[in-house]
Amino acid sequence: MTDKPPTDKATAPIGDWTGLWRSMVDTSRLMTQAWTGSVAPFMLGRASERAGEVNDLSAAIERMTQGPQLADVWDFDRKLALAFAAWIDMRTRLANFNAIASAPWSEASRRFADSMAKTKLADSGPPDWRKLFAKWAEISNEELIKNQRTDGFLEAQKELLHAALEYRSRQNDISDAISTLFDLPSRRDLDEITRQLTELRREVRALRREKGQAQP
Amino acid sequence: MTDKEDQATRFAREAFASTEKMLKATQLFAKTRDDEISVGVTPKKLVTRRDKVELFHYEPLTERKVSTPVLVAYGLVGRYTMADLQPDRSLVRSLLNKGLDLWLIDWGQPGRNERWLTIDDYVDDYIDAAVDRIRKETGRDRVSLLGICEGGVFTTCYAALYPEKVRNLVITITPIDFHADVNDKAAHHGFINLWTRSLDPADIDKLVETYGVLPGEFMSSVFSMMTPMRSLTKYNVDLIDVIDDEDKFMNFLRMEKWLADRPHHPGEAAKQWLKELYQDNRLIDGSFELSGRKVDLKSITAPVLNVFALDDHIIPPDCSRALGTKVGSSDYTEIPLPGGHVGLFVSSKSQGKLSQSIADWLAARD
Repeated sequence: MTDKPPTDKATAPIGDWTGLWRSMVDTSRLMTQAWTGSVAPFMLGRASERAGEVNDLSAAIERMTQGPQLADVWDFDRKLALAFAAWIDMRTRLANFNAIASAPWSEASRRFADSMAKTKLADSGPPDWRKLFAKWAEISNEELIKNQRTDGFLEAQKELLHAALEYRSRQNDISDAISTLFDLPSRRDLDEITRQLTELRREVRALRREKGQAQP
Repeated sequence: MTDKEDQATRFAREAFASTEKMLKATQLFAKTRDDEISVGVTPKKLVTRRDKVELFHYEPLTERKVSTPVLVAYGLVGRYTMADLQPDRSLVRSLLNKGLDLWLIDWGQPGRNERWLTIDDYVDDYIDAAVDRIRKETGRDRVSLLGICEGGVFTTCYAALYPEKVRNLVITITPIDFHADVNDKAAHHGFINLWTRSLDPADIDKLVETYGVLPGEFMSSVFSMMTPMRSLTKYNVDLIDVIDDEDKFMNFLRMEKWLADRPHHPGEAAKQWLKELYQDNRLIDGSFELSGRKVDLKSITAPVLNVFALDDHIIPPDCSRALGTKVGSSDYTEIPLPGGHVGLFVSSKSQGKLSQSIADWLAARD
């Protein structure tokens, strides 16, 4: 941290907080780069080969973050770690989903090859590529839709949705913590305000009805 | 030249022609500006605005032949512009040309601020206020309602709860029995019904808790999944068929603009839509409640016209057809039309039939 702002007694705590915050952001960015650029793809690649199983790395981070909460330290780092674990889990679920979603392509190829083998060449030669493509698209469409209706597909999609929502939820925890740090209203605060406003509107509407007044 | 050489020459010629068309498509995309692609342009006047909801009155295009005003209500899953995509494919314009007095309620672009709005608010507040305003402006006691898709559910609920204010009810591509998809043998029909039932209610709560809304992008991806190959080919191979015809190309871009303009669905209303209707099917069994009142379809006493598309992959025909046995009105008409969910409104083939059927039916009950 070389760009510490000029301080006097009044602004020194803010400067310290800003410096600390920047340091955390830099560290987080470097960690993310290191993981996403090197180790994570390898580990996730292996994890995806074990489709359906809980990812060990994600589970280990989860266990680590479930330790005792401390009053002055670790809370923000815990939130970052939880988001990271959720990201790993989401990638694993995504790989599992992709494996199931892509399964019909081989059956589509087999059916297309069979279809072509049965096609007799007309006198004018083979059909043009658009007709062949249309046939391939028709078969593929049937196979993809058939696959979408299977229990395996629906379950994989549900698990991916769970994982994606968990990741997003943990991102929200981080953004709420940042908002709190800078004394800004968080998403939860805004949700609470809009909830009160909506309920107030309903009360006004009920009162208007009681008095026989039309809605504006 | 041998047969093999002939085939090779033909293949090379076709490949070159297709490449040339793809290049042309790229150039057309590059030179077309978004503001040249207009949707929802039929002239209309803003009557009132509250929150993000606007009530419009369409300007007449011909002498009025049906005096009862008609309020058009689209759902929250897309925008009303599907009914007014372009001048020659506009349900709104066709109805105006047949002398109807058309009003429109536009929900705008709900976001996280609308998280807590429920279907109760849309039916009991916004639609009711719009109906009262139209009654006041026109001096008519009753208004005809024209609901589209989810908007058809809203107007159906309104007609059941406020029969004294409804002259006629027209619903198009509207789900009433959300489980009737199981009777549909077409594999490409009803994936949303199946997918929604595969979720736990807690999944839907978590989705809304996390985003505050049912994100428009999320629903777009579900819709894309329902037509997998079309979603994969529409920006490449399929373009070859439209690139030589500027009208077709612009039609394609207008449809894309409508698809891209998918608003977020207000969170609490989305919970009702997905859990109480898609999962629990409460509308058809009479247990769906709005503002503490049960929506009893037998309470609908106004004449009802139910229009649905026979190849609707989003709302399978049986889901719409179910209203016939439940509605209280003795004047009930069904019109099944060929085509799909969106095609019913935008295809050149169904355009005339749809607007003519609605206009004739309303004129006979004015």
